Amino acid sequence: MPIDVLMPALSPTMEEGTVARWLKKEGDTVKSGDVLAEIETDKATMEVEAIDEGTLAKILIPEGTENVKVNTPIALIASEGEDATAVSAPAPTAAPPKDDGKGETASAGEAAPAKPATVEPSAPAAARQATATDPDIPADTEMATMTPWPRRCAATGKCSSWARRWPSTKVPTR
Amino acid sequence: MPRAQRKAEATLAEVGQNVARPADAAGGKITTKPANFSREEELDAFQRMLLIRRFEERAGQMYGMGLIGGFCHLYIGQEAVVTGMLIAREDGDQVITGYRDHGHMLACGMDPKGVMAELTGRKAGYSHGKGGSMHMFSREKNFFGGHGIVGAPVPLGTGLAFANRYRKNDRVCLTFFGDGAANQGQVYESFNMAELWKLPVVYVIENNRYAMGTSITRSSAQTDLSRRGVSFNIPGEQVDGMDVRAVKAAGAKAIAWCRSGKGPYILEMLTYRYRGHSMSDPAKYRTREEVQDVREHHDPIEMARERIVQSGMAKEDELTAIDKAVRARITEAAEYAQASPEPDAAALWADVYR
Repeated sequence: MPIDVLMPALSPTMEEGTVARWLKKEGDTVKSGDVLAEIETDKATMEVEAIDEGTLAKILIPEGTENVKVNTPIALIASEGEDATAVSAPAPTAAPPKDDGKGETASAGEAAPAKPATVEPSAPAAARQATATDPDIPADTEMATMTPWPRRCAATGKCSSWARRWPSTKVPTR
Repeated sequence: MPRAQRKAEATLAEVGQNVARPADAAGGKITTKPANFSREEELDAFQRMLLIRRFEERAGQMYGMGLIGGFCHLYIGQEAVVTGMLIAREDGDQVITGYRDHGHMLACGMDPKGVMAELTGRKAGYSHGKGGSMHMFSREKNFFGGHGIVGAPVPLGTGLAFANRYRKNDRVCLTFFGDGAANQGQVYESFNMAELWKLPVVYVIENNRYAMGTSITRSSAQTDLSRRGVSFNIPGEQVDGMDVRAVKAAGAKAIAWCRSGKGPYILEMLTYRYRGHSMSDPAKYRTREEVQDVREHHDPIEMARERIVQSGMAKEDELTAIDKAVRARITEAAEYAQASPEPDAAALWADVYR
């Protein structure tokens, strides 16, 4: 039975994240400690490590997908002795198979996701290229690397108010 | 010391050159040779280290599932340090550490179920679900915490050693702290008193090179932390903290020194943590290649596995069976930690001043 790899909460306040990059392909063997993917939150980009051994059977959430809720399965790992190609491959928007008991899956118990993620696939590579060829930007402009949150602010054109506050902290005004 | 010489020493300790590869260090500061382990000792150490590794991996996963609140600092990569030290200690010797503490609890023999239940904030946890990752204790196993303040275990551990001396009970206190804590002022006040009164305390500095996220070469004037006791006349040495046999040998030597009444001893364990400082640290202060290099060539558990198989002490499938048994134990602990009830609201007023 394949093991779910879940979208992790990387801080106590994180509710959703972006699958920024897959570092393993379907069919790759994985062992405990291997970096599977990079997850982007509004604060940072973090790595998701495998803690099981086996084969990356199926990537459920493609690269660039934003707003993936915490605890959504993002991939399936076939454990040793399982046929990775035989792992059922649900469409990314569909709920993963949950009917066949839970055995070794770490998500046993209360961790089953309430509903699948809102999947809005986008291609970050293409998006980045588009910025590079933006006619409004002079050719010799030096581009700075931005952290995810300001990048998003800049992309939407304004940052007149902050959508999030530091949790339970009143921001001093002077 | 002449400036040129001092500079030469600093470069020796630079990242990637000798810290993870102490055996290559040209200066030969590592003087204690690894202990010779019998088959039983090798397998025992392997299993103890694996228990910590699998526990921490599961804790990281459960944190990702939102089952663990607050902070969580994983010990993955440093397992050989606490395992070797605890193999070297005698029953009754105390252990105290900072907040990267799950490994120390398991090494002391505390129940993985109780530790995991504390992480998930449940009633069955060691602090009844009110302490969390950083605050667990066991008088029975002589584990004195679990402390959230950087450097704080050092004066506390020194105090435990003072009690040992006062009571003449022949016990030694193992006080663990990190390379970041080594720059705290209270550490040196403690060093002074420990040597002045010849207290039986082993200071184990777990140098994983990056403190909370700053390389030791950027934050410390003296990067050879085994020499931090020089001005107090406390002996110290560097130890390959990725080799459990080397840790055991150095630990036994230091503990014997303390027990014989000669005063404190400093062991600088050259080690490495694979994960970020805490769960929300993306660890951008080092390269992925550096982490991968340590994992591939210096992993304490993989090195033990190789030694065991190559020397013919056990076959690969025996080790796989040990891994399976350890995984099963951890799964049981994880399930227990999720099934146990949360503390009652009334418990909010227990154990506090009002």
